[in-house]
Amino acid sequence: MPPVFPMLTVLTMFYYLCLRRRARTAARGEMMNSHRAIESNSRTSPLNAEVVQYAKEVVDFSSHYGSENSMTYTMWNLAGVPNVFPSSGDFTQTAVFRTYGTWWDQCPSASLPFKRTPPNFQSQDYVELTFEQQVYPTAVHVLETYHPGAVIRILACSANPYSPSPPAEVRWEILWSERPTKVNASQARQFKPCIKQINFPTNLIRLEVNSSLLDYYTELDAVVLHGMKDKPVLSLKTSLIDMNDLEEDDYEENNDCGLDNLNKKLSSTALREGPNNGYFDKLPYELIQLILNHLTLPDLCRLAQTCKLLNQHCYDPLQYIHLNLQPYWAKLNDTSLEFLQARCTLVQWLNLSWTGNRGFISVAGFSRFLKVCGSELVRLELSCSHFLNETCLEIISEMCPHLQELNLSSCDKLPPQAFNHIAKLCGLKRLVLYRTKVEQTALLSILNFCSELQHLSLGSCVMIEDYDVIASMIGAKCKKLRTLDLWRCKNITENGIAELASGCPLLEELDLGWCPTLQSSTGCFAKLARQLPNLQKLFLTANRSVCDTDIEELACNCTRLRQLDILGTRMVSPVSLRKLLESCKDLSLLDVSFCSQIDNRAVLEFNGSFPNVFIKKSFTQ
Amino acid sequence: MFSVLSYGRLVARAVLGGLSQTDPRAGGGGSGGDYGLVTAGCGFGKDFRKGLLKKGACYGDDACFVARHRSADVLGVADGVGGWRDYGVDPSQFSGTLMRTCERLVKEGRFVPSNPIGILTTSYCELLQNKVPLLGSLGRENKWRPFLFLGSSTACIVVLDRTSHRLHTANLGDSGFLVVRGGEVVHRSDEQQHYFNTPFQLSIAPPEAEGVVLSDSPDAADSTSFDVQLGDIILTATDGLFDNMPDYMILQELKKLKNSNYESIQQTARSIAEQAHELAYDPNYMSPFAQFACDNGLNVRGKQSLGRS
Repeated sequence: MPPVFPMLTVLTMFYYLCLRRRARTAARGEMMNSHRAIESNSRTSPLNAEVVQYAKEVVDFSSHYGSENSMTYTMWNLAGVPNVFPSSGDFTQTAVFRTYGTWWDQCPSASLPFKRTPPNFQSQDYVELTFEQQVYPTAVHVLETYHPGAVIRILACSANPYSPSPPAEVRWEILWSERPTKVNASQARQFKPCIKQINFPTNLIRLEVNSSLLDYYTELDAVVLHGMKDKPVLSLKTSLIDMNDLEEDDYEENNDCGLDNLNKKLSSTALREGPNNGYFDKLPYELIQLILNHLTLPDLCRLAQTCKLLNQHCYDPLQYIHLNLQPYWAKLNDTSLEFLQARCTLVQWLNLSWTGNRGFISVAGFSRFLKVCGSELVRLELSCSHFLNETCLEIISEMCPHLQELNLSSCDKLPPQAFNHIAKLCGLKRLVLYRTKVEQTALLSILNFCSELQHLSLGSCVMIEDYDVIASMIGAKCKKLRTLDLWRCKNITENGIAELASGCPLLEELDLGWCPTLQSSTGCFAKLARQLPNLQKLFLTANRSVCDTDIEELACNCTRLRQLDILGTRMVSPVSLRKLLESCKDLSLLDVSFCSQIDNRAVLEFNGSFPNVFIKKSFTQ
Repeated sequence: MFSVLSYGRLVARAVLGGLSQTDPRAGGGGSGGDYGLVTAGCGFGKDFRKGLLKKGACYGDDACFVARHRSADVLGVADGVGGWRDYGVDPSQFSGTLMRTCERLVKEGRFVPSNPIGILTTSYCELLQNKVPLLGSLGRENKWRPFLFLGSSTACIVVLDRTSHRLHTANLGDSGFLVVRGGEVVHRSDEQQHYFNTPFQLSIAPPEAEGVVLSDSPDAADSTSFDVQLGDIILTATDGLFDNMPDYMILQELKKLKNSNYESIQQTARSIAEQAHELAYDPNYMSPFAQFACDNGLNVRGKQSLGRS
């Protein structure tokens, strides 16, 4: 063999080794680049470009301050580029929710909270936004322009609302969550929470808010989604371990099988026979039941898997008399309802608000559940349950003869004819139809038959043609009415008010906000004050004709007044307000925003003399 | 050249839109690309400061906007009616906010190009959704000026539907528009007046003045639609222009418009506005307004000498 071959082999090997090393360093170099790209949020890296997007569309929300079909103070303002930021103040081009603070929990129409709500579920309102491109989110920024601090939870959905084919599996993942905290400034801010990395791309983001610590309405301008188009390489930095995570129920930490987890817990499992149950054998049955009453639903289900005795306790229908499924909206589906069915035969309060959307609950599944569990139902919360259709309402009206409270708030996809069935629920005491498409005839029918009504909300019911006729019917039939919400009922006049005032003397709460057709010169407010001495809450928001005479009548006649909103009138002077403040000792909320005669000096004086009253004065800049 | 006068409300606001081809693929047969508007505006308010008009700016008592959406370009002018000044109301607030609301509506696409009255109606309704009260204050000093906008306004909206090459207009009051093609006026708005010098108005009256204030719903606007061609010039203006400059003078100025780029249009707009401005203060000039006034039995020269309306 010539000597050149070993030389060649050595050379080739040497060359090969060099190449390999170069390739390896190159690969590592590339990886380094991509790390740098992620860390520096660079958009120029060709490997994994960061995408920054404003929201394309607002697809769902639970409430808003503005009028339907308007662009003033409505949720649709959250889409697109910011209109106002970085200015602070009360601007029309922002997204505003319907309520703030605890005022709505303190008024006569407040409903009792469900017990056994997990302490980490504090969400009161939500809004869902879509973006153009699906990305792996790296940041979600919320531009808040007034009274920031309401956002407490951000979630991402795996479904693409713009894809033509329905998704195989829909998953919601919590990107960030925190207890409500007070933000001291009311100035605009760009809220940049630290979000978790998830392993699916998303273009559907959901914000959940809690406004209970706010001094006034929060206003949101835009939402920015930062993300990567391709799945990011795991960064060298480990993600911060949030102490809150460790306290949460572990089904929220298990990213991949959340749904399965909940359903696993809910399903009955076979148990081995144990020797004894320790001290539990000594405790009386009722006492164990009482102890278990304090457990949240997932804990109850976990406990059921420990031993036969506790299994029996945890599956006892007495544990399911008040059932709050709203905190689990992201996981609850037909299967969950099926598993729960057997235990829910005695359920009296059922909260399915926010559940079932995007195909999670079907009409058939809901109907089956209600057929088993509806007979004792007294209170049914179905706010924002978009899976509902006419058949569901028919089933409710047939299966729930004892129903006293029905909440269909923001079920704006329910067709008008669905509401005809509600008239069969003659025992109804509370009915919430905020932002629904209920029509005049159906509503008149309901009012005719549901004479036990005490609480009625018709806020933003835009399909009603003539509110005077409605008011007349209420005055004639609903003698027990205590609270009435006519927020944005566009065409009610003094005639309707007169019938209300004379027909429902027990009224304690009346919301006539943004009803522009009421004119004080007709004497309608004075009449109201004289005929409704029990009034505790009166909202005359943006009624420009409220004047001193009306305030004086309220001061004389409605001494139990606790909450009064006279935003935007130019005809009320500090003198008459002082009389009101002196006369109504229980007054705790007074909104005089945009009342031109009440300047900041007057407000300061009032604050000094009446320290128990929260006087609200909003401003634009 | 321009003296400061304390009386007389004169605003000449001219917004010119020159129709031009936005699509550079101008050659080779077919229908060509979409049309587009090249716009410029100029105006003079009471303070007689000359100024280039920013989009959506408010000048004197008048305001205007230019906005575009996917398929349409929209121009609008609004003339604040001076009569409210006696009530302590700044007329520019209302007209300015009306135009800004129209602009926002257009940018968000909440309109139908063939229905410009819809833009006015929707904008008017949106104005009512403001928390700030839209009422006049009688005889009181207006302490909250930044927050209150109120009064009345005339309005003219012009929508160019780029794909169908049609112009849709809506006109309420004595603002108006002209379409000039080949040196001649081919379309114009009709003047709408209840009676002399009190045009139809959109307004929101204070409760204490109910029944006294003229108030028309936006549906009383005059609306037209017609085809337009490349090279057409659309002039929208408030009454300050039309009352002081007869057509032939306007046409003379427009003839000087050589091409459809922004600078020349801006120059032309400015010269038209300047001329109208001069003529208003010319005591010897018999303006169209003066002519009309004479026909109605009043003796005036220019419009300024009529004093406050």
